[in-house]
Amino acid sequence: MRYQPDRTTDTPGQTKLTRSHRISGRSDLFPKLVSMQKLIDAQNFVVYRINGSGLPSKQRLVCELENWGSANPVMNKAFIEAYGEAMIEHIEKSLLPLMWNGRDSDSTAETPDFAAFTQRLKPHLLPFAGVAFPVRLGSVGNGYIVFTAKFMDLASDMIVELHGRSCQIMMELLSLDERRSPAAEALSEREIACLQLAGDGRISEEIAEKLGLSVHTVNAYLGSATIKLDSVNRIQAIAKAIRFGYIS
Amino acid sequence: MDMQISQASKSDKDARAVAPSNAMSRDQLILQLTAVAGPAYLQPGLRILTDYVGAAYYLLARCDLIQESGLDFVVSSDWPFDLVRRLASELTSGYGRAGELEKSMSLFQPNFAYLPDNVDLPEGVSRHYCALTFNVGRTRFSLMLLARDSLLLSPERLRDAGLLAGYFASFSRGMQGKLERDFDLTERELECLFWIAEGKTSDEIAMILGISRNTINNYITSVMRKTATKTRSEAIAFAVRNNLV
Repeated sequence: MRYQPDRTTDTPGQTKLTRSHRISGRSDLFPKLVSMQKLIDAQNFVVYRINGSGLPSKQRLVCELENWGSANPVMNKAFIEAYGEAMIEHIEKSLLPLMWNGRDSDSTAETPDFAAFTQRLKPHLLPFAGVAFPVRLGSVGNGYIVFTAKFMDLASDMIVELHGRSCQIMMELLSLDERRSPAAEALSEREIACLQLAGDGRISEEIAEKLGLSVHTVNAYLGSATIKLDSVNRIQAIAKAIRFGYIS
Repeated sequence: MDMQISQASKSDKDARAVAPSNAMSRDQLILQLTAVAGPAYLQPGLRILTDYVGAAYYLLARCDLIQESGLDFVVSSDWPFDLVRRLASELTSGYGRAGELEKSMSLFQPNFAYLPDNVDLPEGVSRHYCALTFNVGRTRFSLMLLARDSLLLSPERLRDAGLLAGYFASFSRGMQGKLERDFDLTERELECLFWIAEGKTSDEIAMILGISRNTINNYITSVMRKTATKTRSEAIAFAVRNNLV
């Protein structure tokens, strides 16, 4: 949200996420995650994303990246069983980091000077303690970056630092996905115009009149856009087009 | 009398505006913030964050209420009221045009722009201002900062400030029970919307939810009435734009 005047700023102080900074693959994220893990002396990291953008009851956590290694299937299952539901519920309303204590009494995750800005998950469910940073980007790409350890004592400074970096990683992950769907280039200007007007509540006849086309042509454009967006009907196509930013 | 007050407040503002931006370390910032952590302390929290980045005035607004008129979308601000009122509609209209993906990819990234020439600003404040967005749950917020010299604001500090402002906003949202953003749609209506957005027909949804097709159509009609939309397509577009599905 910002005022957009005719003249835009071009000062050197401007920082923006430029496409040229983009990473080339998921493997580029590993070193970043490992260095975050080292910063707080954690044993493992996991990146979870929430699949489906529907109702909370229909969503679940999907493990995208981890370094649990061969223990992954067991760990992942235990983790999701313990905290999956609570984490999906949490990200719907809050940005505060989550922490939990492990099963043993000495397996704790602490942050004495930042407790007010963290929330606790139910303790003693897992063999390890940890911290989970929620990242909500919008309608897609939401999730958590989780660090686990037998014991962790986090300085407030570290939490802010890691949470900021977590957001960056989730954005990079989303940008990788975006490049895999080539629909954007494929959609023609006319198709985008028709989708936009349909999303604004216009029926085909109105769109035809507005664009100076026949109704059949409009329907053909909407049909081809639907196919390009890998959708079964125009309503799904409109939903996808908005989610991916082809129309507003 | 009036003059005295305005002078007093002016010097007060001057004092805070000239505070050097590198005065406060992140540790000191957090120490100060911890003292005011909690649902009732959004304003002091934002004030501290504004000082931390070296800006002079803050405005925290919700980006998702832009369809509504009035100033409801402004959550908290110490901008002069006239400035808020003058700019409210313009500030929000630009945002609505960007695509969802673009918005998602620009979170916590400071954006700089100019306020129009014909608005009155507090003395010493630059027309070049900074805005950054962040999400708390399904709500997207924008933090807009006025500064003496916005070029001096550091992106790292702004990112920290955005994140911590999000923490504060999380407190106040936790207080509200039901998400007010649901536009009074029922669970069933939202469920129907979700499936329609997935490309399902009324018949298919009837099958999935185990209720009759007519009931589904009634739900959808009701959604269109509540959201003031004319067609199914528009209702879905509305739901996606507002993150309801």
